[in-house]
Amino acid sequence: MLSLHSYLILSAILFSIGAIGVLIRRNAIVIFMCVELMLNSVNLTFIAFSKYLGNMDGQIFVFFVMTVAAAEAAVGLALMIAFYKNRESIDVEDLNLMKW
Amino acid sequence: MGYDMTGFPFLTILIFLPLATGLCLLPVWNCRPDLWRPVALAGAIAELGVACLCWPAAAAPAKGAPAGFFLFEDYPWIAEFGIRYTLGMDGLSLLLVILTAFVTLIAMLASWRPVIDRVPLHYLLILAMESGIMGVFLSLDLFLFYLFWELMLIPMFFLIGIWGHGRRIYSAIKFFLFTLAGSLLMLLAIITLYLIHGSQTGVYTFSLYGLIGTVVPHSTALWLYGAFLLAFAIKFPLFPLHTWLPDAHTDAPTAGSVILAGLLLKTGAYGLVRFGYPLFPAAAATLSPLLMVMAVTGILYASWIAFAQSDMKRLVAYSSVGHMGFVALGIAAWTPVALSGAILQMVNHGITTSAMFAMIGMLDERTGTREIDAYGNVWGKAPRLSFFFLFFAMASAGLPGLNNFVGEFLILTGSFKVSHLAVALAGIGVILPLVYTVRLIQELLFQEERRPLIIPDLTVTECGMVVVMACLDLYIGLHPGPLLDMLHSPVAILTGGAG
Amino acid sequence: MDMLQFPANIAAAAGVNFAAIMPEVILSVIAMALLLVNVFINSEQKAYLGYLSLIGIVVTFFSVVSGWGAPQSGFNNSVLQDNFSLFFKGTFLVSAFLTILITDQYLKREECNWGEIYPLILFATVGMMLMASGTDLMTIFLGLEVLSVSLYVLAGFNRANLKSNEAGLKYFLLGAFSTGFLLYGMALIYGSTGTTRVAAIASYISQNGMVLSNPMLVAGMLLMAVGFSFKIAAAPFHMWTPDVYEGAPTPMTAFMSVGPKAAGFAAFLRVFIVALPAMKADWSELLWVLAVLTMTVGNITALKQTNIKRMLAYSSIAHAGYVLVGFTAGNAVGTAGVLFYMLSYAFMNIGAFAIIVLVGRKGEENNNVSDYAGFGFKHPVLGMCMSIFLFSLAGIPPAAGFIGKFYLFSGAIQAGYVWLAIIGVLNSAASVYYYLRVMVFMYMKDPTEEFDWLAVSPSLALCLLLSVAGVLIPGIVPGTLLDLAQKAILM
Repeated sequence: MLSLHSYLILSAILFSIGAIGVLIRRNAIVIFMCVELMLNSVNLTFIAFSKYLGNMDGQIFVFFVMTVAAAEAAVGLALMIAFYKNRESIDVEDLNLMKW
Repeated sequence: MGYDMTGFPFLTILIFLPLATGLCLLPVWNCRPDLWRPVALAGAIAELGVACLCWPAAAAPAKGAPAGFFLFEDYPWIAEFGIRYTLGMDGLSLLLVILTAFVTLIAMLASWRPVIDRVPLHYLLILAMESGIMGVFLSLDLFLFYLFWELMLIPMFFLIGIWGHGRRIYSAIKFFLFTLAGSLLMLLAIITLYLIHGSQTGVYTFSLYGLIGTVVPHSTALWLYGAFLLAFAIKFPLFPLHTWLPDAHTDAPTAGSVILAGLLLKTGAYGLVRFGYPLFPAAAATLSPLLMVMAVTGILYASWIAFAQSDMKRLVAYSSVGHMGFVALGIAAWTPVALSGAILQMVNHGITTSAMFAMIGMLDERTGTREIDAYGNVWGKAPRLSFFFLFFAMASAGLPGLNNFVGEFLILTGSFKVSHLAVALAGIGVILPLVYTVRLIQELLFQEERRPLIIPDLTVTECGMVVVMACLDLYIGLHPGPLLDMLHSPVAILTGGAG
Repeated sequence: MDMLQFPANIAAAAGVNFAAIMPEVILSVIAMALLLVNVFINSEQKAYLGYLSLIGIVVTFFSVVSGWGAPQSGFNNSVLQDNFSLFFKGTFLVSAFLTILITDQYLKREECNWGEIYPLILFATVGMMLMASGTDLMTIFLGLEVLSVSLYVLAGFNRANLKSNEAGLKYFLLGAFSTGFLLYGMALIYGSTGTTRVAAIASYISQNGMVLSNPMLVAGMLLMAVGFSFKIAAAPFHMWTPDVYEGAPTPMTAFMSVGPKAAGFAAFLRVFIVALPAMKADWSELLWVLAVLTMTVGNITALKQTNIKRMLAYSSIAHAGYVLVGFTAGNAVGTAGVLFYMLSYAFMNIGAFAIIVLVGRKGEENNNVSDYAGFGFKHPVLGMCMSIFLFSLAGIPPAAGFIGKFYLFSGAIQAGYVWLAIIGVLNSAASVYYYLRVMVFMYMKDPTEEFDWLAVSPSLALCLLLSVAGVLIPGIVPGTLLDLAQKAILM
């Protein structure tokens, strides 16, 4: 049986992949996916702890995170569309009108 | 004393009358230009009147006030911090208050003709500054003092920046930042002292006489006093913190220079006498050699630099640094005689240097230049102007019989037993101003004409103004008794504490 | 277990207790109603939404005032409406009120007069209020997200304008990124203490001292600090601020620089002071560094800005630094200083932005400092207002900004952080330079423009009036407000 540590290490790795992805990728959609990866690794952490501690708080938290992530996705994609309409690109290199 | 003055808020009126007058100018900003100058002038004259009315009050001490104070007001203000609205006037404050009212009036007259644009704002700023300076000289609560101390800066910043000449913006910002940086550290020192006092006694107060006598470890006291000294030394200005002064003076309009030299510099000296020494007597005694060195260096250095100036205003600005060096020397010695001399010298310097700047302003206004090289044979063209110029220049150089001589003499006598060396060196500093002053006079008034400048002589109002100042110079020079009497009790109280 | 932390006088600790979230409920209902109304009115009538939302804010404000002094807890101790949160709620409502006053004129000028902006501002305010009264990491997170999601839209609200698009997108990407850190920190804290309730975390730690050496708890604290630092724009997590502030519609910049920052501080304070007092030695060291970095980076970078919105963005970073000084002190004076400062900052900063809104015109925002040449004499009253705001930001008496800084630095000295206070005042002295520069242009340079397009709408005039009053009255007679702030601290 997998121990708590395995879950924690997995989620830490996922979180790091997500964070590094945000920093090095150039496509706004991919960056956003990396953010989602970070959020989901957090969800994994919560669930692992919840199971380990026998405490439901973590699972409730996960539901909230998922809901919020969905709302964020809606707004984020809308912003990307607005940007795309004006600039015909979603490359963050093109987010350059002001000093980045 | 023929009338009862207790309960009448003279001090509050002294502080807020100028500001209120200034604000009266706002509604007539866009109309009635004929009202601007008279209203402002009336305010300044009324202020001088109120200040003079305080003189007779000195006969009887105020009830509930610290020793030596004859007018006193005390109300709670920000109770959460133990901040009170405490004002007090003793002989020291009285002299400086009268000086403030007088010099402001001179500044206003000096800008009567040269300032033609944005006149109401100009007078509003002068009056606002007068309020700030009055507040500094009257506050007995450190927070209140700090508040007025900062408030003085703002009008001067605008005066230099809007009506100045040359690199006015640079000078205005330099002036503001220099003085602000020093005073912010003083604020921290004030807060620290407040907290130390509060943790020792459980009474959190910013009142000066509440905080005097707080037991502060000597090393901490040195830091705190150092912060006060820094703020005051910048204002003074003492060598090597004086660099803002020549710039500010040169680029300021006449009224700005007059107030700067006549009044703002005095606030530094006053702060040291009223707050620095009484709050930290031991630390002040430890650091007084440092103050003395700064003072003497300043005296010698300023005279030397003044000699090399080609701009009259710069020359007088450096001579101010020298004169204030004498004041610092007198304070550093902290003996009754030297301290009386220092305070008297503050008043003298206020009158004489304002007069010098006013005269230079008149010349500048007539010819458009302040270069000494441009002038020559002014005596032949404008004898009255030249006479008074000569008079004030000689007063400033310390000619016996005129006011500065008395002050310098007292300072040197009083400091002699404290430090022979400092007095000997400063003695040279008495001679040096004569050298550059004689050069200035000679080149300006008697040299052959170098440029065909048209210099009309003094008008009647200008004449009136300078005659009053000359009379004051002469009076203090020949008969300083009443002023020294007025200073006797505060100086005795101040130096008594320091041993 | 939860009962242990709350004094008995707090009403109805468990279960549903609407009294504890009354302001949030009122404001949400009004916002949703406005969203509906918006569908049925034409574009000329959008200003009415603004008026209605102002009324809504006033009503909510009354509910906030009536809750003062009577702490209410509810929903299984996940919200606590105490004086602390009420003071912050007041600050949020003030900032929303002032922002809405300057919004209408801007929207009409920029031709993006869509009514959704008002409900969005209200939703953002609800989010902030939840953050301030959240006593459960979950509530704090939810409040933060309600706030953030609304703000992403507000930043990119002018959808035809590329700069605004860019600001919205950048804010979104970095905001979501920082939320990840915050959440991960929350997860680790939950894992090491077994609860998400703020007070329960503290009692768990005090009962199980060895947990303090658990790297997971330390990592959780650090990650949360990073997340909050993003939200309050503390250096080195401030990179998004200048771009977002510059690109967002000006009224929204004003709003973002005040409300969300205050909300960030509210949650930051609540979590660190209530949940992690046992780690105070660690986090105050961390905050010390953050405060110094934030003040210095903000001020130094602001010195060389020529765009006034960018300059105020860096200045707002620096102000977060001053507030962090009070937070670092962590004592009663410092914490009350944070409360007092955020409220005064709302007045002075939104006031300054109101002037910026005025000076701009369609297609030409006039955001360079040099565009203000001669402004002070062309419009003396507006110039004087701007000077008052700038002097207050610079911390010159008798403005509220001075009293606030005085308060914060007193707290730091009292807690023994003398060097921090010295660095703070030196920074404050340096900051004066860039505020003065605006005034130099306003008063000491010859005008290049006539500024004849300036039209002050009544609502904008009201905003200026309120802001000037809010800067000067607490500056001259701060007694009442200081008293309220002292009653609102967490200790």
